[in-house]
Amino acid sequence: MSAEPQIELIGIDKYYGSFHALKDINLTIPKGQFVALVGPSGCGKSTLLRSLAGLENISGGTMKIAGALMNGVPPRKRDVAMVFQSYALYPHMTVEQNLTYSLRLKGVPKEEMRRATEEVARTIGLDNLLHRYPRELSGGQRQRVAMGRAIIRHPKAFLFDEPLSNLDAALRVHMRKEIRALHDRLGATSVYVTHDQIEAMTMADHVVVMRDGVIEQQGSPLDLYDRPATRFVAGFIGSPAMNFIPARIGPDGASTVFDRPDIRSLPIGKKLDPGREVIVGLRPEHITVGAADGAGMTLKVAVVESTGSLTYLTTEEPLQLTIVMTGRTELAPGDAVQVSVPSAHVHIFDAETERAL
Amino acid sequence: MTRTYTPWFLLAVALGLAAIYLFPVYWMYVTSVKSGSEIFSNPPTFWPADPNVGVFGDVWARRAMPTYLWNSVVIAGGVTAITVVLGTGCAYVLARYRNVWIDIGLFCVLMLQVLPASVMVTPLFVGFNQIGLLNYPRTAVVLAAAAKAMPFFVVLVRATFMSVPRELEESALVDGNSRVGAFFSIVLPLARNGILVCAILTFMSAFGEYIYSKSIIQSPVLQPASVGLSGFLGPNSTDWNSIMAYSAIYVTPILAIFVILQRRIVAGLTSGALK
Amino acid sequence: MRFLNALRDGVGFDILLVGAALLFLVALAGAPLVYNVLMSFQQVDMFTLGALFRPFVGFDNYVAVVRQPEFWLVTRNTLIFVFGSMTGQFVLGFALALFFAQNFPGAATIRGLFLVSWVMPGLVVGGIWSLILAGDYGVLNVILRSLGIIQANVFWKSDPAFSIWAVVIANIWLGLAFNMLLLSVGLAAIPRDLYEAAELDGANAFQRFWTITLPMMRPTIGAVLSLGLIGTLQQFDLFPALTEGGPANTSNVAGFWSWQLSFQLYDFAKGATVSVMMFLLVLFASVIYVRSTRHEVRG
Repeated sequence: MSAEPQIELIGIDKYYGSFHALKDINLTIPKGQFVALVGPSGCGKSTLLRSLAGLENISGGTMKIAGALMNGVPPRKRDVAMVFQSYALYPHMTVEQNLTYSLRLKGVPKEEMRRATEEVARTIGLDNLLHRYPRELSGGQRQRVAMGRAIIRHPKAFLFDEPLSNLDAALRVHMRKEIRALHDRLGATSVYVTHDQIEAMTMADHVVVMRDGVIEQQGSPLDLYDRPATRFVAGFIGSPAMNFIPARIGPDGASTVFDRPDIRSLPIGKKLDPGREVIVGLRPEHITVGAADGAGMTLKVAVVESTGSLTYLTTEEPLQLTIVMTGRTELAPGDAVQVSVPSAHVHIFDAETERAL
Repeated sequence: MTRTYTPWFLLAVALGLAAIYLFPVYWMYVTSVKSGSEIFSNPPTFWPADPNVGVFGDVWARRAMPTYLWNSVVIAGGVTAITVVLGTGCAYVLARYRNVWIDIGLFCVLMLQVLPASVMVTPLFVGFNQIGLLNYPRTAVVLAAAAKAMPFFVVLVRATFMSVPRELEESALVDGNSRVGAFFSIVLPLARNGILVCAILTFMSAFGEYIYSKSIIQSPVLQPASVGLSGFLGPNSTDWNSIMAYSAIYVTPILAIFVILQRRIVAGLTSGALK
Repeated sequence: MRFLNALRDGVGFDILLVGAALLFLVALAGAPLVYNVLMSFQQVDMFTLGALFRPFVGFDNYVAVVRQPEFWLVTRNTLIFVFGSMTGQFVLGFALALFFAQNFPGAATIRGLFLVSWVMPGLVVGGIWSLILAGDYGVLNVILRSLGIIQANVFWKSDPAFSIWAVVIANIWLGLAFNMLLLSVGLAAIPRDLYEAAELDGANAFQRFWTITLPMMRPTIGAVLSLGLIGTLQQFDLFPALTEGGPANTSNVAGFWSWQLSFQLYDFAKGATVSVMMFLLVLFASVIYVRSTRHEVRG
């Protein structure tokens, strides 16, 4: 790993008129890392990506790519490549012309262009498509041309703006692996924007969760999964989403108490002030289901859904939980079940600040 | 894209460009209220020194404007009526299907749009003469001008119909409507705005119709305002006062309508009607 | 009964709607066109005006028209008029379209103001320009002199060398808005992220215009140019107001000449003949228009 980070964002601020789109963003990306920017719509991830490309101006802060200051530098001098959500392939040019566009602009000699095209075409699997026009290609093929166009430039960084959202589910799964494999093979530095947290979790070395223009948390995918710093991150990462239940810390300081007399309290793994208002977070996959006797809480099943390999249970009020278990079940709506959660997997968040405790 | 110009600078330039372009219109109004000699002054004044607003009333009476303008309205109204009645249905059918016959039909309609009036006026005059239609000159002009206006109308309105989703008409048919019923109760109301815009454009254009009127209508009582203007407008005119005042009265209703409906018109034209 | 049913439902209804309009157009536009061609081969004078079948004279009329002393002058003028107007309208229209494609408050509204020229009667426009282009007291001369572009007054309307340019100038003003509007629509159809991708690939503003904008505007430009040609050939109203084709036919074009022959000299045969010649030119232009709109995507 080289000493100099490939991309450095220090204190980035951006305003659209009076709307504060990006608030004091700090992010350092070393060379060769695959970073995912995730978040709900409007969180500022695309804005951040476009600012990195130079397509948007920043209002404050410092931006460096490969050690060079990028503030005020126009996009075409930044040497970054972007794969757009709509691919932005030039419709009036063939695949080959699309790929070599940037090289032609620089006046690269024909022989060199031909070699570069061949190499990229082989890498991406486009060899026999070079003379087609974009309108003659399928969605997946167009996506690969978009990537080929980026690769041929050997840029300092690859920027992806939700490139897979226009593809169908099966193709998306396939392309996820291909993109990551390509990144590894090229030793590239990539910044990948998506609203799909599964993409982020499976593809990235480092995940940045954004919300309302701020970075809520960043870290390795499993870090974010095991130790979410806020309720938002906990609910955003992981599918199906975490269950949240308002509660209070019990008098013993070591368990949570729910405001229903018929629900037993849950032990937690730490010591907290008794009486404190909290939110309890339970991941559906961490809730164990047992027979209707013994330890744990007793709840009634409302809905049972099976995909063949997994079963999703939803319990009734007063405590509506989503539970995921592997395999099949004999349970049916109306049955009573005993649910329990190991204390290590009970997440506690402060009711006010929503930060993890 | 990041641009260094502020939007306000661009706005200023835009206003400047518009001012330059609209200068002739401004000049028309300004000249009409200038005194006779001021028009010929050297250098010319850009604002009338002693505006004579009475010139409008003057020209109105002296040049028989009420008659002329009324004829213009009659002709424009007739043209619009025929064009809308015949053209709307045609546009609807041409929008509904996509096959070889439609292509041929569209091509024929377009071809007929393309012929200059000065090409058409000779045979029309001779032909009208032969069937005695020249005894009803305004009717003859209405027919001729409607034929001139219809192809353009059909092309524009067809685009409007193409933006009405086919599913709405189909669900009306499934609900028990006949084609006629579906057309009048579902499709037509939805296309109403586009048709209205095109009808207004047709009216405004027919209001200024000149060549057919000049060639076919001999009697001054039946001539429209355009012919009336040509009576004292020519390469060697000097009575600019009256000419501009006449033009101003003639053109102001159209300009007023245009300014009020400008948004609608531009939106209707740019949203695909011009393809 | 079944016939009436077919009229209310199904194909009968469609045929009725299209048929009515087409019938009207054929009677009032198609038939006269054919009649025009017919008359160009006939001897037409005051005596035979009422008859349908007149003496057949073959190509005599065509020969006579070409032999007219003003024929070549009119042809030259028509070419100058067409090319001059179209170039001015297209270049200025494109420049304005590019300008107004930028994002600033009021862009759409101000752009709409330019359409004024489209709704004004041609005669009025001719009249106003007649005033502006006057030699002694016209405003254009004053402005040009104060900018130092000319030294003495140019007599736009009465100088044989300039009279054709007088009509060209007025026609450019008239047709500018239409060009600008069509080109604006074409420009707006180009997705913004193509420009962004090109910029990231290293293209500057000029390169983006040359490699992205122009190639993608090709069908639009084709339509604009051919519609512009058709519209310019159709132009008539400007002439009676500005120059009446003079002085000495130096600003006479085919369209106006044809009308003059028929309605001022009452030589309907020659008028019809010139019309047919023009029609062939217009036919050529409209074939180009239809071919360029083949690329149009329907609904």
